[in-house]
Amino acid sequence: MDPRKLVRELVSRYGPDRGRLIQILQEVQKEYRYLPRESLEEVSKELGVSLPEVLNVATFYHQFRLEPVGKYIAYVCFGTACYLKGSADVYEAMRRAAGLNDGRSTTEDRTLTIEKARCFGCCSLAPVVMVVSSDGTERYVHGRLTPSEARRLVSTYRSRALRSGGVGVASG
Amino acid sequence: MLQDSLRRFIYGSKGFRIRIPIASCSLAAGAGEVYQAALKAVDRLGIDAEVYRVGCTGLCFMDPWVEIAKEGLPPAIYANVKPDQVATIIERYVSGDLSGAVAVRFKQGGERIPSLDELDFWRLQVRFVSRNCGLVDPESIEDYIASGGYQGLRKALSMRRDEVIETIKRSGLRGRGGAGFPTWFKWRVAYEQESDVKYVICNGDEGDPGAFMNRLLAESDPHRVLEGLIIAGYAIGATKGFIFVRAEKPLMADRLEKAVEDARKAGFLGKGILGTNFDFDVEVYRSAGAFVCGEETALIAAIEGRSRPRQRPPYPATSGLWGKPTVINNVETLAHVATIFQVGVEEFTKLGTEKSKGTKMFCVTGSVNRTGVYEVPIGTKIKTLVFDIAGGPPEGRKVKAVQVGGPSGGCIPIELADLELDYESLQSYGAIMGSGGLVVIDDGNCMVDVAKFFTGFTLAESCGKCLPCRVGMKVLSEILEKITSGQGTLEDLDLAQELGESIAKTGLCALGGTAPNPVLSTLRYYKHEYIEHVLNKRCPAKVCPKLVNYYIDPNLCRGCTQCAKVCPVGAISGSPGKVHTVNTEVCVKCGQCFSICPFGAVKKV
Amino acid sequence: MRVVKVYVNGVAVEVPEGATVLNAIEKAGYSVPLLCYLDGLFNEATCRVCVVLVNGRVVPACRFPASDGIKVTTESDELLRYRRTNLELLLSTHRIECWSCSRKSGCELLALSKQLGVEGIPVCAECPLAGDSCLVARGEPCLGPLTVAGCSAECTRNGAPCTGCRGFITRPEVWKSAAEFYREHGVDGKKVEVAMRFFWASVPDHLKKIALGGAP
Repeated sequence: MDPRKLVRELVSRYGPDRGRLIQILQEVQKEYRYLPRESLEEVSKELGVSLPEVLNVATFYHQFRLEPVGKYIAYVCFGTACYLKGSADVYEAMRRAAGLNDGRSTTEDRTLTIEKARCFGCCSLAPVVMVVSSDGTERYVHGRLTPSEARRLVSTYRSRALRSGGVGVASG
Repeated sequence: MLQDSLRRFIYGSKGFRIRIPIASCSLAAGAGEVYQAALKAVDRLGIDAEVYRVGCTGLCFMDPWVEIAKEGLPPAIYANVKPDQVATIIERYVSGDLSGAVAVRFKQGGERIPSLDELDFWRLQVRFVSRNCGLVDPESIEDYIASGGYQGLRKALSMRRDEVIETIKRSGLRGRGGAGFPTWFKWRVAYEQESDVKYVICNGDEGDPGAFMNRLLAESDPHRVLEGLIIAGYAIGATKGFIFVRAEKPLMADRLEKAVEDARKAGFLGKGILGTNFDFDVEVYRSAGAFVCGEETALIAAIEGRSRPRQRPPYPATSGLWGKPTVINNVETLAHVATIFQVGVEEFTKLGTEKSKGTKMFCVTGSVNRTGVYEVPIGTKIKTLVFDIAGGPPEGRKVKAVQVGGPSGGCIPIELADLELDYESLQSYGAIMGSGGLVVIDDGNCMVDVAKFFTGFTLAESCGKCLPCRVGMKVLSEILEKITSGQGTLEDLDLAQELGESIAKTGLCALGGTAPNPVLSTLRYYKHEYIEHVLNKRCPAKVCPKLVNYYIDPNLCRGCTQCAKVCPVGAISGSPGKVHTVNTEVCVKCGQCFSICPFGAVKKV
Repeated sequence: MRVVKVYVNGVAVEVPEGATVLNAIEKAGYSVPLLCYLDGLFNEATCRVCVVLVNGRVVPACRFPASDGIKVTTESDELLRYRRTNLELLLSTHRIECWSCSRKSGCELLALSKQLGVEGIPVCAECPLAGDSCLVARGEPCLGPLTVAGCSAECTRNGAPCTGCRGFITRPEVWKSAAEFYREHGVDGKKVEVAMRFFWASVPDHLKKIALGGAP
């Protein structure tokens, strides 16, 4: 669906109430896995909240993304226990293996996004990487990882993404 | 003698119940697969047993665990169960063979397996609010009611509002999410406000890395939290309550939502609750996640569709959500409220210290053998929690410090292990109780790195509204970066101290005001480690990458070439079967050789 | 309307309920430095420069409500330290290019820096010469961009290049943008160095390198 149309539907469902701003953005993201620019503009128009203010909220909360993501998203836990047990090394190893050297977090072929995450609360498994598919249907937890194991995860999920055909989500 | 209600939960209506914890943490460890395997096993073995979903006990190190209880046999607990073991375990158990169980819940005869009460990690706990965790089905209101649930609400509704507040005052309950503010006081202020609309909010944001007791409690016994919220709503005269949960904790939000629906059907929410004229309803609010939302005014801003905290006063109790009097209590605090009304104030006040009554749940993580969530009386010694309950560090490691209170807390040296865990003691030693995250740090961890970790966390989470937090934390983090890469000077240490104190005093919200704590507390107790980084350009724990050199032990190297292959800059030379060497001139200290060597031949020096 | 009695540095004043500590301070005839506060427009207490002590607690005067009987202290070593630190933090992220700033002598940052004794803003902020009449723009080795403000730019006001008698700014980022400014207008690095020698016997190498390193 056209993002603008979706926003208009959501606003008519929830009412043009600024208190529903976050909820509407959450629904948009559920549909597109990220917040397309048009959707933000439409939210601004429909709720009567200025675009900078919408962007303020969209960039403030972790849940929201402004860029499309890969088919799989690997969250490397950066909770305290994971950090002390080497999650920084795991993260670096995965980024290297995925060829992400600059500021990017998603591979060129949009098979995999690698991000740092806040504590998952499964500290007994530290260091932990959680992999979810961008459509939310798959979810895997990998615990007590070494950097070499983490490197292998990258190739596993990238080839799985290619096999399943779908790479990321269409932009726009 | 075993209480009837407990017996009912353990053996179930069929007299044979297999309990498996289904909560975020145990699911991550594989409990979902174990649950499926148990269903199949029961079916295949033709056993008339219930495979029963329960919440989590907090014994994370056992996850996923299974407890099997058949009338006539002692309930046996199996730890770290794999799906393919389930059938065998059940089969053996039915035949009376309890081998492989780590504990029995209680002894029937002369079993050699210890009972839970003989094990320190259980015996030393006092499970006041977590009493139902791991026993009841969190999605069953019947289970909760059978455990005495909603009796507290009944009792509260039979009292006048001010009597309810007076009861909490008598209990001495203090907030379990931060500075330990007396719960009754907030209630009293909000109660006294003249306003047609008032709100109560349950703060379930829980953004501290390493703290998940609220999630565990709400996922395992959601009605207890809800009951506490309804009582709080009644006490101040609110008509609406919110439960604030992160959308990234879907199971917690789902279970709370289910609890709200079931409570509404059962008449604990809605119009004229339990035949009184008290109208009250609750909405579960799924937040988009930001650490600062744990702060009251930022949490309110989030519900209003905004972001960022504001200067207090006015406090929310006088002007909160949409400008109305609002009381915000943490998940654990509200669970305490419900429990206090269920079992009586005296049961609560006989626990804890003079100034702080009751119990507190602690998440003990890091360098311990038994990671978990443990509920202990306030005033329990650090050493009891770290060594007796959580089992101390893994072999070969020495505990150096405990970090209490997350990014707002501080590090306490293990030499102070006799210190009692209560609000005042922790504060006087530079930490805070916070939500109760306790991370055990060992000799393999660098204290400057720990400070850098937390500073980086708060910097990333700073909302950017006030100058000291926005820019000050950036400068503080740059100083730490300088020190950990061997570029620091002694003046930097003074600057960090002075800047830290200034941020602490002038930060706008509670987060900004406590953000420098990890730096200040490590400077207080571990200045020698900082000085070692500055003067000798050395990281004693060999953690800070730029201060570590790699070297291959010729006695251990087998010449497998893996390190040379993984090295991104070609700094490792050697031919197959021959000892390899690192050229430190070329080495970029990425540590990949260290992590890949199968023989442990790559050493840090 | 109900009034509350507030003691500002020992002076008792009455202000209406709902007034801020700042209102009470002003009524008592004292002042505190203000930056982000704009009466009636902005009152979010974000810069934390107006901090005062209320019953011993550090709070922002612009936002904190006055209540009955409170004791307000507006000056102390501790407060000065916090105000200075916060101003320093602000300056550390401020792109200091006073030579091309339109505020010039109306600059509140400059006024506050002088008041709190924080160094970091160059003489250019006070200099009335701008655009084509700027001495640097005319190719002169004027040291205004590198010199600590506070002299009201007396020399440049009279058409003479700044000789740096008030001492040099120590912030590398100011030197960086000043160097660019010199370069842009083709000011000879050699001439700047000669000018520096007059008052500045020892400019630290890292600063010198910035200013002269890339000069033509």
